[in-house]
Amino acid sequence: MSTLLEVSGVSVSFDGFKAINNLSFQIGDAEMRAIIGPNGAGKTTFMDIVTGKTKPDEGRVIWGERNISLLGLSESRIAQEGVGRKFQRPTVFEAQSVRENLSMALKNKRGPFDVLMYRRNAEARARLEDIAEQVGLSDQLERMSGELSHGQKQWLEIGMLLAQEPRLLLVDEPAAGMTPEEREHTTDILVEAAKTRAVVVVEHDMEFVRRLNCKVTVLHEGSVLAEGSIDHVTSNQEVIDVYLGR
Amino acid sequence: MKQSFLIRNPHILVFMGLLAVFTIAVTLMSAYAGSDVISTSFVKTLGKTLCLCLIAIAMDLVWGYCGILSLGHFAFFGIGGYMVGMWLMYERTKEIVATSMAAEALPPTPEEVREGIGTQIFGVVGGAEIPWVWYFADFLSIQLALVVLVPGLLALIFGWLAFRSRVTGVYLSILTQAMTLALSLYLFQNDSGLRGNNGLSGLQNIPGLTDVGQDTISIWFFWASAVALALGYLMAVFFTQGKFGSVIRGIRDDEARVRFLGYNVEGYKLVVFTGTAVIAGIAGALYYPQAGIINPAEIAPIASIYLAVWVAIGGRGRIYGAVIGAAFVSLLSSWFTGGGAPDISLGVYTIQWTDWWLVLLGFSFVAVTLFAPKGIGGLFDLINPAHKGEKS
Amino acid sequence: MKRAGIWAAFLWLCLSGAVFAQDLQNVLQTHQQAVEKASRKTIDAVLDDLAAANAPGTQTFIQEWAGKNVWMRKEDGLFFYVSAQADKSYELIDLASGETVGVAAEKKLLKQLKPNSGVRGVLASFLVQFQLSDPDPERRIAALQAIERDADETHYGPLQASVENEPDAELKARKERLVRVLAVQFEQDETKRIDAILSFKGDLGVDARAALNPILATDLVVLSALQDPSENVAQSLSSRFTGSDMPDGVTREQAIALVQKAGLLGPIPDNDAIKSALIANMQDDMVGGFAKQDLDQQENRYQAYDALAASGLVDKRISDYDVSETLAYSNLALVYREPSSVVTDTARETLASINDAVGLNQALDLGLDALSLASIFFLAAIGLAITFGVMGVINMAHGEFIMMGAYTGYVVQQLIPNYTVSLIVAIPLAFAVTFAAGVALERLVIRWLYNRPLETLLATFGVSIALQQIAKNIFGTQARPLTSPGWLDGAWVLNDVVSISYIRIAIFALGLIFFLLLLFILNKTRLGLEVRAVTQNPRMASAMGINPDKINMLTFGLGSGIAGIAGVAIGLFAKVTSELGSDYIVQSFMTIVVGGVGNIWGALLGAGMIGTLQKGIEWLNPSNTLAAQTYMILFIILFIQIRPRGIIALKGRAAGD
Repeated sequence: MSTLLEVSGVSVSFDGFKAINNLSFQIGDAEMRAIIGPNGAGKTTFMDIVTGKTKPDEGRVIWGERNISLLGLSESRIAQEGVGRKFQRPTVFEAQSVRENLSMALKNKRGPFDVLMYRRNAEARARLEDIAEQVGLSDQLERMSGELSHGQKQWLEIGMLLAQEPRLLLVDEPAAGMTPEEREHTTDILVEAAKTRAVVVVEHDMEFVRRLNCKVTVLHEGSVLAEGSIDHVTSNQEVIDVYLGR
Repeated sequence: MKQSFLIRNPHILVFMGLLAVFTIAVTLMSAYAGSDVISTSFVKTLGKTLCLCLIAIAMDLVWGYCGILSLGHFAFFGIGGYMVGMWLMYERTKEIVATSMAAEALPPTPEEVREGIGTQIFGVVGGAEIPWVWYFADFLSIQLALVVLVPGLLALIFGWLAFRSRVTGVYLSILTQAMTLALSLYLFQNDSGLRGNNGLSGLQNIPGLTDVGQDTISIWFFWASAVALALGYLMAVFFTQGKFGSVIRGIRDDEARVRFLGYNVEGYKLVVFTGTAVIAGIAGALYYPQAGIINPAEIAPIASIYLAVWVAIGGRGRIYGAVIGAAFVSLLSSWFTGGGAPDISLGVYTIQWTDWWLVLLGFSFVAVTLFAPKGIGGLFDLINPAHKGEKS
Repeated sequence: MKRAGIWAAFLWLCLSGAVFAQDLQNVLQTHQQAVEKASRKTIDAVLDDLAAANAPGTQTFIQEWAGKNVWMRKEDGLFFYVSAQADKSYELIDLASGETVGVAAEKKLLKQLKPNSGVRGVLASFLVQFQLSDPDPERRIAALQAIERDADETHYGPLQASVENEPDAELKARKERLVRVLAVQFEQDETKRIDAILSFKGDLGVDARAALNPILATDLVVLSALQDPSENVAQSLSSRFTGSDMPDGVTREQAIALVQKAGLLGPIPDNDAIKSALIANMQDDMVGGFAKQDLDQQENRYQAYDALAASGLVDKRISDYDVSETLAYSNLALVYREPSSVVTDTARETLASINDAVGLNQALDLGLDALSLASIFFLAAIGLAITFGVMGVINMAHGEFIMMGAYTGYVVQQLIPNYTVSLIVAIPLAFAVTFAAGVALERLVIRWLYNRPLETLLATFGVSIALQQIAKNIFGTQARPLTSPGWLDGAWVLNDVVSISYIRIAIFALGLIFFLLLLFILNKTRLGLEVRAVTQNPRMASAMGINPDKINMLTFGLGSGIAGIAGVAIGLFAKVTSELGSDYIVQSFMTIVVGGVGNIWGALLGAGMIGTLQKGIEWLNPSNTLAAQTYMILFIILFIQIRPRGIIALKGRAAGD
């Protein structure tokens, strides 16, 4: 299993506060990884750095077989390289239909003129309906996404992420606000996705993480505190201290 | 494909039909057709209104769809006017100079003609030299190209700088307003080469067509404006439909999200900003020959603000809303300021609408923003509930 | 000067007339012949006696004498002023008392004294001396002022003579300086003159520069082949004329005219002359072998003309190249009018040192100008720094609040005539009025639009349009004056170059007070704490018992109220019109954007930067303030490229997107 993303020695501070401190992290192709950590551990900032929203003060972020540095690239370029991101709160385009949302996310040329001249074709339509099926929104395609329930919006967003066909999925608290059944469905989708690509899930909910059944990285104060299976990290004294408070 | 395009957008057919009926009706009622129902000056007013509708469409694209509240599009409109105005004024003056020199003992040399033109045009700003910006004023084709190129290039450079540094929202609005202010202040100078605050005048006269009366010319421009508006409408629908429309509406609602989908947001904004600037330039190039005069005051930031007002009142985020807003407000405005509205006597004080129209407009604008964010176009949703929300 | 003299004489007469024993007429009668037929040789004795006697009316008499207004009665040789009557008779007026003492029936009984110009010169300088030594300091000052305004050679001697006995130390210093100024221009002794010139090294006085500059005045001349050694050549211009690097103020046309006058160059037919010549020589629509209709090209006209020239009918054309060559070999030079090269060298050196000093002081002056412009921008923008910067609410009607403040000041001034009192009333009243307007705007419009900045921008646009028009309807379109109290008139003059008006100092002080006050309110008071709490997290703040509605209302009122006070301040030096606000709104937003949003320090830095920049650009291109504003805005657009969040940027997640 080759390395897809390698983050090494990354630090970033905001007005003197070190949000990420000498963080190193690796993930291979087709791997599932959960990141846990208390509030302020730097989980979201870590995602911001990988997706290009935040520029770190130091460190390297290396991507893919050709070892490209992601640091010099814009958010859209990074996304085109194959990094997909799902936000903590579901962010879908509420004024547009589910179909439009998915169609926008479908892997295609992204240039303005390509898009202007883009014509829907049967292949794309089939692919779109396939994804809708996968996230359980087949009968909602023509609805405004603003009218969807919270859980449906989460799925729509996951669907959009899948439609992008990224090589790396960064998923921020996918199960927040979902019913137990919905959680299960979400887990299935993620596990399925991890068979063909790398998936990084940031989650608070230990139960959910346990169900993902993957390697876990614990972040604390901007750096890696522990790494390993869920049982391994939950038995780590330091992790217990951090979570329960010293 | 074309068919489904029209079926998905029934308002195109409605709009085109109404525009065609309107155009033919105005033509038949004008002095051109021998009728005196509509005066030539009112034909010009209607033609100008069509141009304003066109720039309102541009504004709607950039603001209502792409979320960039540009307070600079009237500047592009003005530049378009200046570009065509330069040719009109130059050629017209050339005719006048040639006529006045014909009586001289020697036939004039091209240099003498040029000098005569220079004195004629730039005498008011104390010059006789023809500034370099007039280099192509003798060539209609080049000046017409400049109508598109200058606003487009300016928008491209400005937009590239502004979008690249991720200036958004109100900051961008203020920046575009500053750009407009800078441009109008620049044009106000005498050494801008465009006659300072005198501006360009006599644009209603078409060189080489001195025999053709204004009755006819006004109808020509009216038709040209109507065709431009129709094309602009079609193009706007084309731009806002399908995936491109999805993306730019996405940018309006949450540009960071669009970025994470892999779209180069800056590129899209630049395309929309520049494209609409070009439309604005064309609208201006059609407007000012009908107005007859252009000066830097036309470009002042307040004009762009009114443009935003029209679109907001008409209903942004729907093309026909922009058209309705521009037509409604600008015609109403000329009715009120032209003394058409009856004064209201309150005993101690008489409300004269020439004075109070702007107050009314200002407050109704506040009311629209607060209570009817969808504008007049929102009324159509009441008639046709199925339509609701689709384009808001 | 004359009027001042008469007035002074009159005053003197009133005060001290009777005390003197010697009568003016008596003194004159002792020199009857010398007065009647005055010449430069004899006049000195008369004047000496007149000075010694110092009789009442002497000064007036000298003046009137020089002005040919003194007449003699032929019968007894007495001198009078006269007044012509309607019946062609003349009333005779006593020299000392100014009373009518008799009548001459006809003009021929009288003789008008007409001193020649030499005598008049002596009289004038005598008069100056007289005034410069006058016991009344007021009149000495008047005399000095007259000389300062318009000095001539005759003043130099008397002024020098009057220095020694000047009792008043201040006046003495002033006289000494004036002596030096005159010495620069009129001193005959070259060494002394050079000393006088050198004494002005680094001097900032306008008088010094006015005296020195004429020394370096030059004329463009054609030097004779054998250069006259007495010519003080400033610059030889030979060979300059082939190129384009002409010294300042010298044009090619001037040089050509000069060289033509010297006979080195014949007439140069220009295009107009060629055209006239062609028309004049036209026969049967043909000239020089060309048909008339072919002469619509300049090249053909030249050829036709050359044909005429070949047959000797007209002067030959001379090419530009030939003209340049001739100019280059014509020994053209700029020659000083001042013959002494030592003097011109010294003057140039001194002027250079003066220019250095002036440059330095101009920079200082520019700095002060920039500072005062910055304080105006700051005042205009600081209200915005609160509403836009701290609350994040964009208020396009902010400019109209400034305007309302200014009109409040104007109205108060109509009611209270005392400018100082009205200003003291106007400032709190303007605050109250705009505070109320701000609160009303916040309650009625803005609070419905929180978190929708573009909508807020639009709605406040509407308010701005309406308020502007309402002001126009009430106050009309013409500018209304807002007069500053007397103690704010005038300027603090550091020297002839650096000065700053009190009103600008006051505005600077006002800006500083507001800055400190707001810093204090936001950082040290309960209100400030609550404002920051509501700004950062309204829900949390309200959970802690803060009423965000109330805080928003108060904050917005505060920002608007400050705009009102700024309006009064701005109204004091700018015209109060309904467009006052819109003149400042863009600059104000620029100030905030450049400085960095969310921070009063940002507004300060932004105002400082924009003020300095605008003054700097104006200094580079002083004729064109419009261009300065254009370039400044372009600069800001570029500046935002480098620092998109302004000078003081909030970093990290708190800054949001």
